[in-house]
Amino acid sequence: MDYAVIVALQILAGVATLVIVSLGLAVVFGMMRVINLAHGEFLMLGGYAAILAHGHGLNLWLSILVLPPIVVGIVGAVVERLLIRRLYGRMIDTMLATWGLSLAFIGGVTMLFGNSVTGISAPLGSFAIGRYHTASYDLFLMGAAAVLSLLVWAVLKLTPAGLLARGTMQNAEMAASLGVAPDRVYAVTFSAGAALSGLAGGLIAPVSGVLPTMGTAYIAKAFITVITGGAAMLTGTLAASALLGSVSTVFTFLTTPVFGEVALLVVAIVLLRLLPRGITGRFLRRAL
Amino acid sequence: MTVLLATEALVMRFGGVTAVDGVTLAVQEGELRCLIGPNGAGKSTFFKCLTGQYKPTSGRIFWRGRDITALDPFAVARLGVGIKTQVPSLFDGLTALEGVVLALRRQHGERESRHRAMQALERLQVAQLRDVRVGLLAHGQRQLVELAMVVAPEPDLIILDEPTAGMSAEETHRAADLIRELNREHAIVVVEHDMQFIRAIARTVTVFHQGRVLMEDAAERVFADPRVRDVYLGKAVA
Amino acid sequence: MRRAALEIAAVVLVAALAALGLPQVLELFALINATVFVSMAVLALSLGLIWGYGGILCFGQTAFFGLGGYAYAVAAINFGDTTLAVPLALAVPTVVAAALGYLMFYGRISDVYMGVITLTTTLILFKFANSTAGDEWNIGSAPLGGFNGIPGTPPLNWPFDPASQLAPEQIFVVAVVCLALCYAAARLILRTRFGRVAVAIRENELRAELLGYDVRLHKLALFAVGGLMAGLAGVLFANCVFVSPTMFSLSYAGQVIIWVLVGGLGTLLGPVIGCILIQFLTTRAGSFSAVDPNLLLGVVFMLAVVVVPKGLLPSARTALVRLAKRGGA
Repeated sequence: MDYAVIVALQILAGVATLVIVSLGLAVVFGMMRVINLAHGEFLMLGGYAAILAHGHGLNLWLSILVLPPIVVGIVGAVVERLLIRRLYGRMIDTMLATWGLSLAFIGGVTMLFGNSVTGISAPLGSFAIGRYHTASYDLFLMGAAAVLSLLVWAVLKLTPAGLLARGTMQNAEMAASLGVAPDRVYAVTFSAGAALSGLAGGLIAPVSGVLPTMGTAYIAKAFITVITGGAAMLTGTLAASALLGSVSTVFTFLTTPVFGEVALLVVAIVLLRLLPRGITGRFLRRAL
Repeated sequence: MTVLLATEALVMRFGGVTAVDGVTLAVQEGELRCLIGPNGAGKSTFFKCLTGQYKPTSGRIFWRGRDITALDPFAVARLGVGIKTQVPSLFDGLTALEGVVLALRRQHGERESRHRAMQALERLQVAQLRDVRVGLLAHGQRQLVELAMVVAPEPDLIILDEPTAGMSAEETHRAADLIRELNREHAIVVVEHDMQFIRAIARTVTVFHQGRVLMEDAAERVFADPRVRDVYLGKAVA
Repeated sequence: MRRAALEIAAVVLVAALAALGLPQVLELFALINATVFVSMAVLALSLGLIWGYGGILCFGQTAFFGLGGYAYAVAAINFGDTTLAVPLALAVPTVVAAALGYLMFYGRISDVYMGVITLTTTLILFKFANSTAGDEWNIGSAPLGGFNGIPGTPPLNWPFDPASQLAPEQIFVVAVVCLALCYAAARLILRTRFGRVAVAIRENELRAELLGYDVRLHKLALFAVGGLMAGLAGVLFANCVFVSPTMFSLSYAGQVIIWVLVGGLGTLLGPVIGCILIQFLTTRAGSFSAVDPNLLLGVVFMLAVVVVPKGLLPSARTALVRLAKRGGA
């Protein structure tokens, strides 16, 4: 029984991690139809921001939760202004350019900080369920995933800024004729997405090694999750994370982490074969 | 007369919208059928169900008595159906001749295809465009080149979705002559808007309204019917 | 027909000159480097064919590159003779490409999703190959070696004569011959009905379908051919470098795309020239510069996409195409 609880918690933690890691990408793709292949590197920069800040004495929670989104949000704003803005509407070109950006970030960070893995040890220790122990940080991650999803939903549905953003995404010309500057909306949305990615990096820094290429471990999963999720940005990501995260964790338990990842890919491919527009292309179509 | 193409209670629904609401019709060999109706009446959606681009929600489609409802567009084309889309579908990077050759290449060798392709281009009076890249052609010319691609493989049935869209009066006139001439050898179904064009070619007309067939009759009777006029003017019709 | 024959003849001539001349002129290290360039050029050609002509943007062409290399190494070590290892090494990536192609094209998956799936495939293979250190990861007598790769891949030997292995100079000749053959094959394929339909599909998939062509099958077949060629590049690479997970890496995957983009999307020689040129420059740059190669590559990539509308350097491309036309593209 205790073991079942542990497994359930692990599955939830796996799903939560996938949500956290995919949310920034979902916002940018879902709202702007921009495929940011440097999303993994935004994550990596967030991780580095957390590590460096903490290494210089900043409080752990501030290093993980506050600094990374600010830093990476600013990076995102710069990237949008200099690169993404020139390529709107050109989906393939955006993919390619952001891929170049991702390589550049990896190279730059390698030059600055070298190739070695650093990290922060996970705070909050562990707690016991019967004979088994599990990391309390996993519970924190689950909470973080829930809070972030709620936050995104709340901002988009309940705030005037969110409404503006959604309107602009649906029809930029219409929004412009109502006095909204689409450029500004795009810039803010992209930065927000980047900030979310950076925050994700900070959040997973204690459970993942931070090195220049860490982003590459997550980009594939995040992408697959967002695309399998379908058009509804938030619901799709949550649905896909739940499905793919569970399958991946279960397989990891039964075999090895690598097979867990392979299982995720296979399930996603099968899903896309059956539902070519993603999960929310068929179900829950009018959700956010 | 053999029935070439028939539909039976065809329904096409998208989410909450029923674009085609139980359409039953039959086209005979050698017939010239016009499908008319105001915007949003479901003509183009019906067209895409026929070509296999949409899988109908319910109902069936028959070709010479055989159920072809679930066929992919390429399979429908192979039956001997020539399809001309509303927005011209052409190979912009290829020359007019290369495009028509490809249309023939599935059934003929290289030399035979070139020969027939030239004939098709001449028939449509665009032979002079043979070596011009299609992407550079004017809209009316594109329509004619596309017609050449559709006609060259000598299909049993040609279905055209608004073939005169964007054509000048002169080109529309030429197109009408062309359709009548083509009808001597192929059955034709035309989905159209342009009433002048319809009047010039129409024999049997099927009128669409809100996804259903309002009436289907000889052209003169359809044009004289007050309901058809009302439907075009947007008045409610039972 | 005459034009194609002329073009192929010209390329064969250049290849013959290179194959016979360069081993006389270059010292061993430079010659082995040249062999690497040539094997990469075959990889670039494979993507140039399926992307530039078929419109298939595969982000993970390196998947088939790596599979070819690994299949060759494992087979050669196990058989003790490379004669049958080569066809096996070519079959593996081709079959995988066909399977992946079936999943993607018969699922009518769009461009974007295809890019994601192919990219993910190569990344998964990368991760998998990296995790194969340790004895339980042997296939027959060949250790997969984890992130170190497979040690001691045997070089090609003369058919059915395992004792006489080819010298590096001879491997260079084999590589050049392979490049010329792949080019000729690609040219010829493009002239067949199949090839022209594939190009038409790139131009307008709907119209190709409405003309009665099975679009999915054509894309699948072309994709498999691309996989075969990339696998061949992998075999050549295995013979002049060594087989390791890097063959599947994101970095290599990106490089292939840059070569094709910068060299000229829509030509066959463009990617080849782009590949050799960029590799030459990066090796030169890498030897004295303090700049990380990823950084350099990334910046080149971004510039290539942004500065030019079609993602190409226009003057370089026109010059390259003119060069290629004179040489016989």
